[in-house]
Order: sequence, then structure tokens, then C-alpha cells
Amino acid sequence: MMDANEREVYRAAIHGDRDAFEMIIRTHSRQLFAIAYGILQNREEAEDAVQDALVKAWKSRWRVRHPEKFPAWLCMIARHRARDVFRRRRVPETLEGHALSCPTISHTDATDPNALDRQLHSALATLPELHRSALTLRYFEELDYASIEKLLGLSNGALRGILGRALAAMRKQLRPALASLE
Amino acid sequence: MTLHDDIDIYLAAELHNELSAKEQSALHSHLLDCAACRKLHQETKAMNKILEENLATEKADPAFEQRMLAGFRNRIPQRTGGLAKLIVDLMRLRSAQIAAVAAVLLALVQVGRMVTGEASMPSRKREYVADAEYRAQPMNAPASAPAEEALTTSNELAAGRADSSARAEMAVDSVASGQQLEDEKKELGQLHQPRAAKLAKAQELPSADAYQDKDRAAQQPPEQSPTANRKLIRNAGVELEIASFDDTVPKITAFASEERGYVATTNSQKQANGKLRGTVVVKVVPENLDRFLQKIRGLGELKNQTLGTDDVTKAYFDTDARLKNARVMEQRLIDMLKTKTGKVSDLLQVEKELARVREEIEKMQGELKFWDSQVQFATVTISLAEKDMEEPAAFLLKERAQLALYSPDVEKIYNDIKALASPKVQITNAQLDRDNTGRVSARLSILMAPEESDAQIAKIKAMGRVENFQVQTERVTQGGTGMSENAKTKRDKVELNITISREEQEQSFQQTNLRIRTSAVDEKAKELRGLAEKEAGRVLSSSFSRDPNGREFANVCLRVPMKNYPALMQSLEPLGKVENVSVHRQDRTGAQIDEANAPADVSIQVYSQGNIVSQQSGLLATLRRTIAQSAAAIMWSVRMIGVAIAFLAPWVIALVALGWLTRRAIRARR
Repeated sequence: MMDANEREVYRAAIHGDRDAFEMIIRTHSRQLFAIAYGILQNREEAEDAVQDALVKAWKSRWRVRHPEKFPAWLCMIARHRARDVFRRRRVPETLEGHALSCPTISHTDATDPNALDRQLHSALATLPELHRSALTLRYFEELDYASIEKLLGLSNGALRGILGRALAAMRKQLRPALASLE
Repeated sequence: MTLHDDIDIYLAAELHNELSAKEQSALHSHLLDCAACRKLHQETKAMNKILEENLATEKADPAFEQRMLAGFRNRIPQRTGGLAKLIVDLMRLRSAQIAAVAAVLLALVQVGRMVTGEASMPSRKREYVADAEYRAQPMNAPASAPAEEALTTSNELAAGRADSSARAEMAVDSVASGQQLEDEKKELGQLHQPRAAKLAKAQELPSADAYQDKDRAAQQPPEQSPTANRKLIRNAGVELEIASFDDTVPKITAFASEERGYVATTNSQKQANGKLRGTVVVKVVPENLDRFLQKIRGLGELKNQTLGTDDVTKAYFDTDARLKNARVMEQRLIDMLKTKTGKVSDLLQVEKELARVREEIEKMQGELKFWDSQVQFATVTISLAEKDMEEPAAFLLKERAQLALYSPDVEKIYNDIKALASPKVQITNAQLDRDNTGRVSARLSILMAPEESDAQIAKIKAMGRVENFQVQTERVTQGGTGMSENAKTKRDKVELNITISREEQEQSFQQTNLRIRTSAVDEKAKELRGLAEKEAGRVLSSSFSRDPNGREFANVCLRVPMKNYPALMQSLEPLGKVENVSVHRQDRTGAQIDEANAPADVSIQVYSQGNIVSQQSGLLATLRRTIAQSAAAIMWSVRMIGVAIAFLAPWVIALVALGWLTRRAIRARR
């Protein structure tokens, strides 16, 4: 379980200790960024969302009853925040989003690293946001399953399922590119 | 579910190193068997590699945390100080919490006290001390503060712990104010009295070291204390209540000579009730003063006793020293006269000086002798008063009578009573009033000699109808209060107050209301007047009216003597249908009433039926009334709702504000 020292830091932060809260920012903001990026797939927006989430967390820190649930709560705020940003963006970007959702993957561009990148992102965009967040947490921060489960509030089986299905979906979409790579 | 179906999950977990050893071996054996899964395995591996290489580039850059921190600090500036924060921080301390709870409880108790108006005991006591101090101030201003101190530290002082003479002196000063306190408060006085005696002794001693000795000395009788060469003038005052003054004076004389003393002066006064009051001044040898006082007390009831000592030691020895000097001066002047032979004028000068010195010597000798005599004998002033000093000497019987007369002719009676005036019947006040409606009333006050009074009052009562007669007798004591067996009783002049009024103004003895229904109202009303005159009555008032529905009303008010009342009532029967008869009789207690002649009022309403349907009934009128009433009811409820809102709104506002503040406080604590 969580060690006593960490727990003490969360408790202090809930009780308004700024230094403890800044400590948590140092240790957790990357994970929050991963989650936000998973939802938004845009670095600037994700960063802003994390920033907003941190401020909001500080202001309503007194709502947390149990210090050990603090990180999960923090992630929840970040997810809500990112989702808000996403929802606001979706209306003007419908056309672009449409374009993203129907990617045309040409075989000739497969070897081009930039083209692969684009294909990767458009494949990601087709996944549900929870799947994306799980993926980003895994591939950005290289967290083990236990940590991801805790942050996203999932059970072990559920996370395995999510990551498995996400990888499979990606694999299906990128099959031509994969083939060319081999 | 077989492994084959879930191959995606197993492959992902395998790549992420999250498979258990058992799962790992199961997967490997399956991959050996299943070519399709082997292919998927390869693809998934490649996918994982792409993700690790490409997606990982999107992760946050190294300066990300710093940016987050900076942004956070920017948006949430550190609040330094801040009263709310200070209070919140303070309230985290357990001791502060306990103190706050205690303060709240105390405040509640105080509020409760204020509401119930109960004053706390300790504060009252403090007030008392302050009050005592205040009273002591005019007498001995600088000592007032030490007085209190002396009271509170009395035990210390008694133990002789006062360590400086200055402090002892201060304490002595405080005695004067302390005695004031003694008079006012027994409980404090009891504590104080023995100490006051000790301090009085301490006065004679130079330092507080001797103070301790003095404590012991205070236990011994005053005669044996080292005051032998001191000049003390003692005097005492005794107030006694005795049975007989003349018997007591010889006894006092006998006691005085027993104690080597004498009666200096005696005086006595006789009071109005024959009791004697007087003063005897006795001189006795100071050593025997206490014994003498003891004896005196046996003579009667002790009312008051005072004992005082006046120390004249310093003045005495000063005068003595100056006398010695003057004597030496005198001797030298005499020698000068004897030996020197100079000019006559010088000799005369010396003679003159000698005369002045001798006069001074004599004056001082006289003074010393006076003091000697004062010191030699203590003065006892005995005030004597015989028992029952307050007994009255005589009684005076004062009689006061009040009479109310009613008559048709006020002026005649007024003049008749005025004609009664004689040296024994004096009219002190006579007044005849006539108001603007022509009603006459009169008021008379008469003083009569006691022997004449009964006859005169009877005569006046016969003049008219007596409504009220009251006699009040008062016994007044003269020259004292209370009862006396021997005092004489005298009758004083009788005071009689008469009011005369016309009979109409008199309140009726009985009042009757009735209604008569008839068709011819006017006619019957006239008939009523005739009836009244027949029964020796008068019409007091009458009125006639007709309302819009054609109903006629005649109101007639009659007054008849009580004896004719039944006859009148019977004669009303033939006039019409008599309805709603009600009779009131006022029982006037304490008044003497001539019932047969007392006036009885009869108020009669004669009325006709009028139209059958009035404008006040019918469909339209009913409708109109109903609408008006419902409008009024609606207005009333609107008003009530307004009142309720006005009453509730402040409470709601206060509660909401309280809730908001509480939320704020809780949030701040988190």
C-alpha cells in the first residue's frame, strides 16, 4: 500500500500546506498530463487543462476525506477538465475531426516517419478516451498496471482488457504500416 | 473463455511485463500451437515498438513540472498574514479551541445572568468595599487604600509580621476608617475590633518591633500597662433608660462616692407627658472608671455607651518645659532688678517684661492644673430617660361627615343651610354652581361644635332626600405615639361637607328598557307622556325618527318614583305589544336610600313595522354584500401574509448568512 510518508504529504496538502501541494505537483503533474493528452491529443491544450485542474484541486482540496485517495481524485479532476476542453473544441473542429476519423492511409507514405506519426494519431483518435488515457499513462510514464489502475480507478481485469483491446485496435488500423515496417 | 479468445489481452500484458509466471508459460505453449496467434504476436510487438518510439516523443518535456509550479504560484498567490488565516491557524491549536469554548460558555452564562437580572455575589461584595472606601475618604483620605489592605492582611498584622515602622503607622491611620467600616458591616467589624485595640496601643510605640510586645500587652488590663507617666484624659458617655429619674440620681451619687468621685452637674427636663429626661455628669478617679460604669449599667437598660481617651502627654510636657524656662527667665529678671542700678526707664522696661513673664507663667500653670484635674478625674456623662418616653399625653377625636342631598330646588336648601350659621355652627365654605345648561348644584362646608353637631345634622338631613351620609372618626394622639391608659380623650369640632344637587342629576335607582310595537307611533308617544304625568313622573327626553324603510321610532325616557313604578308598567299594556323588557338595578352599598321615593327610569321605544322588504335585503344587495365581504377577506389574508413575510424574512436572512459563514469557515479549515 501507500507508504506513511506519502500519505502524510497528501494529508498536509488537504489541510492547506502549500509546500506539500507543490510537492504533489512535482510528482504527479506528468501523470495528469498523460491523462489529459490521452483525451485531447494536443500538448498545449493538455498542459492548460492540467494547470486548471491543479488550481481547481487546490481550491477544493477540503472535499477529500481520505488522503490515500488524493491522487485518484486529482486524476478525476484532470479528466473532467480535459473533457470540458474537448467538448468546447469539438464544435468548431467537426470538419477537421471528420477528416481525422476517416484517415486515408497510403502505402507509399508508410515508410515516411512523419506519415507514420500521423497515422498513429489518427488511429489513436478512433479509440475511446479511457483507452487513450491508459495508453498514454503506460507509454509516457511507463507506469505499471497497479499504478494505472489506482489513478484511473479501474480493476486489474478491466485495465488488462482496455490495454489489450486498445493495442489490438491500433494494430488493425496500422496493419499496412506495420507490414511495410517488417 | 479460452486463451485464444483473449489473445489480445494476453499479448498486451506480456509486452508490458504484467503476466504472472503461470500465464506466461500458458501463453508460450499456446503460441507454439497456434500460428494465427503467433502472427498477431509479431504484429503486436511491432505495434508496441512504434508506440514506444513515436508516442513517447509526445510526452511532457523536462521543464513541464517547473511550468506547472510557476503557473500554480501565479494563479494562487501565497496569502501572507490575513486575519482569517491567522484565526484559522490559531483555531488548529487544541489550547485555543478549549479557550474559545470556555469563552463562549462564559458569554452564555453572562447573557443568561443579564436576561434573568441576577447580580453575581462576588461583584456585589466588591462594590461594598469600594463604597466603604469612598465613605472613609473625606475623613482620612490617604489612609483609605491602606485601610482595605489592613483589612485583608489583618492576620499578618496580628502575627506581628509588619516589618517597618512606616507601615505600622499607616495601619494606625487606617484604624479611623476601619471603625467607619465597622459600623456598616458586622462581619467585617468583628474581625476588625480586636485589631483596632491592638493598633491603638501600637500608636504609642515608636517601631513595629515593639508591636509584638504590644500584642501581649493588649491582653492585660489597661491599668497595668506602662502608661503611668502619661497624661491621658478619659471620658465616657452612657445612655440609660430607667424607671424613675428621681430614684436614680441618689443611686448614681452613692456609686460616685464609692468610687472616689463626685457628681459634677445634674439637670433634668419634664416632657409634655410628665416623663423626665436629664443628664448627670460624674467625675471619678480613672482607675475606677470601668468599675463605676459596670455599676451604672445595673440601674436601667443601657441604650448606648462610649469610651474615649485623649492623650495630652506631649502638650503637657511641652507646657511644663516652657514653664520651667519662664521660671528661669523670671528669676533672672528679678536678679536684674536686685543687682543692676540703671536708668529708671530701663528698670521700668525690666518690670514690664517681668510682669509679662509672670502672666505667662500663671497661664501655663493654670493650663497644667486644668490638665491635671482632667487627668485626675475621668468624666462620665450619663444621659437618663424614663421609660415610655413616647407615651401620648392626650387624644383628640376628630369627626368628619359627608352628606349628599337631592332636591328639586337646590337654591332654597342652600339658603336654608346658610341661615343655620351661628357661633357654634360656622360655615367655612359655600359655593353655588350653575352650569351653562342651567343645572344648579351647591357645595357647603360647615364646622360645628361637638355638642351641637347631632342636632344640626338631623335638621339638614330633613331638608331634602338624603342619598349618602358618611361619618368618619379619627383619634389623633398628642405628644407621642401609641397607646396610653391614662391619657384623656377630647372631642374636636365636627366638619360637615354637604353637596346639594337637583334630582334629575341623580342616578336612577332602577332602569327599565322596553319596546312597544304599534302601528301609530306618534299617537302612542303622546299618550305615554300623559301616563307619566298621571303617575307623578316626568319626561326626561323624547325623540322621533323615521328610517328609509318607512319604520318609525319614538324614544321616550320617563322618570317616576319607585312607588308609582308598578302602576306605570301596568298602564303601558294597552298601548301595544310590549317587548324586550329588561330591568337593571344598581345596588349602591353604603348609601342610605329612600326606596319609595327613589327615581326609577323607564326608557321606552315605540316603533312600527315598516316595509316588508328593505333595501338591505334582496338578491342584488346580498350579492353586493358577499362580494364586498370576500374582497375584505382577501385583503385581510394578503395583509397577514405580508406580516408573516416581514416576520420571517430577517430570520431566513440570518440563517442563510450563518450557513454561508459556517461553510466558509469549514472550507478555510480544510
